Amino acid sequence: MALLSVDNVTKRFGGLVANQSISFDVGDNELLAVIGPNGAGKTTLFNLISGFFPPTSGTVRFDGRDITGQPSHKVAAAGLVRTYQLVQLFSQLTVAENVEIGSHRVTRGGVGGALFRPDWFRREERSVREGARELLHFVGLEGQADLPADKLPYGRQRLLEVARALAAKPRLLLLDEPAAGLNTQETEALADVITRIHRGGTTIILIEHDMSLVMKIAQRIVVLDFGKKIAEGTPAEIRAHPDVIAAYLGGTEVVDA
Amino acid sequence: MPSTIEILQSLVNGVGVGLIYGLVGIGFCVIYNASGIVNFAQGVFVMLGGMFCQVLMSQLGLPIILAIAITVPLVALAGMAMELAIVRPMLHRGATLFAIILATLAAQIMIERITLLGFGDRPRTFPDFTPGGPLRVGEVAVGYQLFWILGCGALLVVALWLFFNRTRTGRALRACSQNREAAQLLGIPVARMMLVAFALSAGLGAIAGVLVTPTQYTAYNVGTPFGVSGFIAAIIGGFGRAGGALAGGLLLGVLQALAIVALGAGFKNVAALSVLLVVLMLFPNGLFAGFSLGARVHSK
Amino acid sequence: MTSRVTTFTEPAALRWQSVSPAAGAAMLAVLGLLSSDYVTTVLGFAFIYAIFCTGLNFFMGYTGQASFGQSAFAAIGGYGSAILCTDLGWDPVLALFATMALSGVAAVIVGYPTLRLRGHYLAMATFALGLIVYEITIEWTSLTQGYMGYAGIPPLGIVGFELPTVKHQLVALVVLALFGVAVANRLRRSRFGRALAAIAGSEPAALALGIDVARYKLIAFVIAAIYASAAGSLFAHFVGFISPEVFGVTMVVQSFTMLYLGGIGTVWGPMIGAVIVSVLPEALRGLKEMQDIAYSAILILVLIFVPRGLAGLSSLFARFRRNTEPL
Repeated sequence: MALLSVDNVTKRFGGLVANQSISFDVGDNELLAVIGPNGAGKTTLFNLISGFFPPTSGTVRFDGRDITGQPSHKVAAAGLVRTYQLVQLFSQLTVAENVEIGSHRVTRGGVGGALFRPDWFRREERSVREGARELLHFVGLEGQADLPADKLPYGRQRLLEVARALAAKPRLLLLDEPAAGLNTQETEALADVITRIHRGGTTIILIEHDMSLVMKIAQRIVVLDFGKKIAEGTPAEIRAHPDVIAAYLGGTEVVDA
Repeated sequence: MPSTIEILQSLVNGVGVGLIYGLVGIGFCVIYNASGIVNFAQGVFVMLGGMFCQVLMSQLGLPIILAIAITVPLVALAGMAMELAIVRPMLHRGATLFAIILATLAAQIMIERITLLGFGDRPRTFPDFTPGGPLRVGEVAVGYQLFWILGCGALLVVALWLFFNRTRTGRALRACSQNREAAQLLGIPVARMMLVAFALSAGLGAIAGVLVTPTQYTAYNVGTPFGVSGFIAAIIGGFGRAGGALAGGLLLGVLQALAIVALGAGFKNVAALSVLLVVLMLFPNGLFAGFSLGARVHSK
Repeated sequence: MTSRVTTFTEPAALRWQSVSPAAGAAMLAVLGLLSSDYVTTVLGFAFIYAIFCTGLNFFMGYTGQASFGQSAFAAIGGYGSAILCTDLGWDPVLALFATMALSGVAAVIVGYPTLRLRGHYLAMATFALGLIVYEITIEWTSLTQGYMGYAGIPPLGIVGFELPTVKHQLVALVVLALFGVAVANRLRRSRFGRALAAIAGSEPAALALGIDVARYKLIAFVIAAIYASAAGSLFAHFVGFISPEVFGVTMVVQSFTMLYLGGIGTVWGPMIGAVIVSVLPEALRGLKEMQDIAYSAILILVLIFVPRGLAGLSSLFARFRRNTEPL
């Protein structure tokens, strides 16, 4: 049974239809990519799934539960964690602290715990710190743990955002153009991290422009164009799909894989 | 139970003071549109207007026309000083929105206290612009000053419209409010426009202060109530629209006047502030959001 | 609306950093005890304000929100304690807790709709809340005695034992202020504190990590209100007299001066700022009339030139080191 199923979802902004009757499923431990030309409605789709605004019609089910229109923090608390196209770090805090905040979903300490600091609270805090250190190691940022986040080079800020999302132990991770603005080397490092996250058992949906990245790591691809789903299939199928080729050649981008 | 006469009388008074709120509200909008900043010190210009005018008349024995002619540019200068000394350096250093609001509030306190030191805490007033009155309509008394307020208010609205639509500077200001970066690219001196906005806004406040003082009084601390009421007027009108602010001011003035009849004078500020909270929470785009009383010039 | 927030897990210098301001506060207290009652009184005000600002810091520093109306809750505390102790003969400590609870409840009721607002609207709405309470303290004369003020409030005491002199009370105030800072420090270095820092940093990111932004903002607002209420009550007991002016706009500007001067978002900044801003005008005697002008001028200068305050200077070098065991 699917972990996430998007069923007939439509979003209108005034007269503009950003998403029209989109449906697809994501199975457990799958790595799905959503691609499409600029303005195809990919980020809108992410915003609908992650609860940043409700769809005009249609339903989104996560882990068997209807999460349509639920506020984003509740969706995240259920285990569906996203990153942003424009990095949204806590720029005044250190790299390690950014990741520590990520563990919010999987910890429980409140005001009382913080005040009285019982054993379980101390253990939890310790595991938060240790977990953050491990994750920084996982993405290769262990050397920069105490640096303010905004002092990291851009490519590493991307990795930090992924590490922070991982700290929430997501069941489904939504990555919104994680490779945007990265050079080839950084993209490769990111691809490696994503592959290892996936291998670790986390389901991933990836929005990406970088075709070579998508073709390399995705198991299945959904293609959007003008707000509609025009194709769905394995990388090989998508590469040969006439509508996809038309959509990309009709625009300004070329499938370069 | 208040009589019909009482209610009518309070409505008449409410229209007068409401127009004043509207002018202060327009002052808020002018600065907000040009800079994206809400100047919490707006009310202090009203106080300074009344105060300077009164002092010039009583201490130097100047005729009222001359006193006004000196007061308004003087207060406009104070507005420009505030822009140059506080707002500009803060914007330049990338201060947060909230820090700038706070700085304007601090400026208000500072100006109030300096006024207190200079002129004392005695409430001051001066007579109506023209002697005589009030005019009696049935049993309702209408002071001559109300006509001055209405007349000058109407004149100002026309003048503002001409300024924003017919002059280069006015049109440049409107361009800034629509998109500051684009305006900059078009060669509009955005920084100088902010200075103009502060001068204009302060001048408007001063005129409001001069107009309203004969109907009540001025003292170092009348700024906050006028500022808050002006802000409420601007909010009711859907922040950023001059016409909306004017309408909002009239509505607020009338509501306040009725509140005085119903609850007593003491709670009129509580009533006004409660209106503010209700409007903020229920109609965050202003009561008149659906109507086009003026171009909405600043998109949030 | 992000104010710069310093790291919430204090770096390696934590122990040194917390010990030295605490020792400084204790030294000031001793100094106060050895000096004239006048100096003691000034220091007493400083520590009352330290409590107020430490609370405000939760909402404005840690969470990065704006409230211009926190004086309202100080008024609830002050007038609540005055009325309960003077008219109803309550024990001051009991009244203190009762008014803190009342303020907390009021903050929930008021904060729930208000905190949905942002930017200018939030600033003006909270400002209006402060003004509404201020107007009520003036106009509801049967309850508050209006401009006349409320006199004859008994000094602070614990179950029947009054603290008879200002010097006794100063000791109590210093202890309470340090306690307040300790609570702030513990809350900040926790999952709760991290959630607040996340909101100050980026609301979209906080939401995407499952942080209930609205709820945490409200909690921070309520904590700030409870601190403010305690400060108001303590002021009433310390001076024995309150009037509407005590909780007016001046209080707001004064507390912001302290917060920004000491360093907004830091644990000790509010207390350091409160002491400096309270003592400075006394050191420059003859400035009495100019006090408010001086506050405003200092605040404007700080906002323009050192928006992170004095504490910002020290944390700059400290933040690169890190405490491995902050618990």
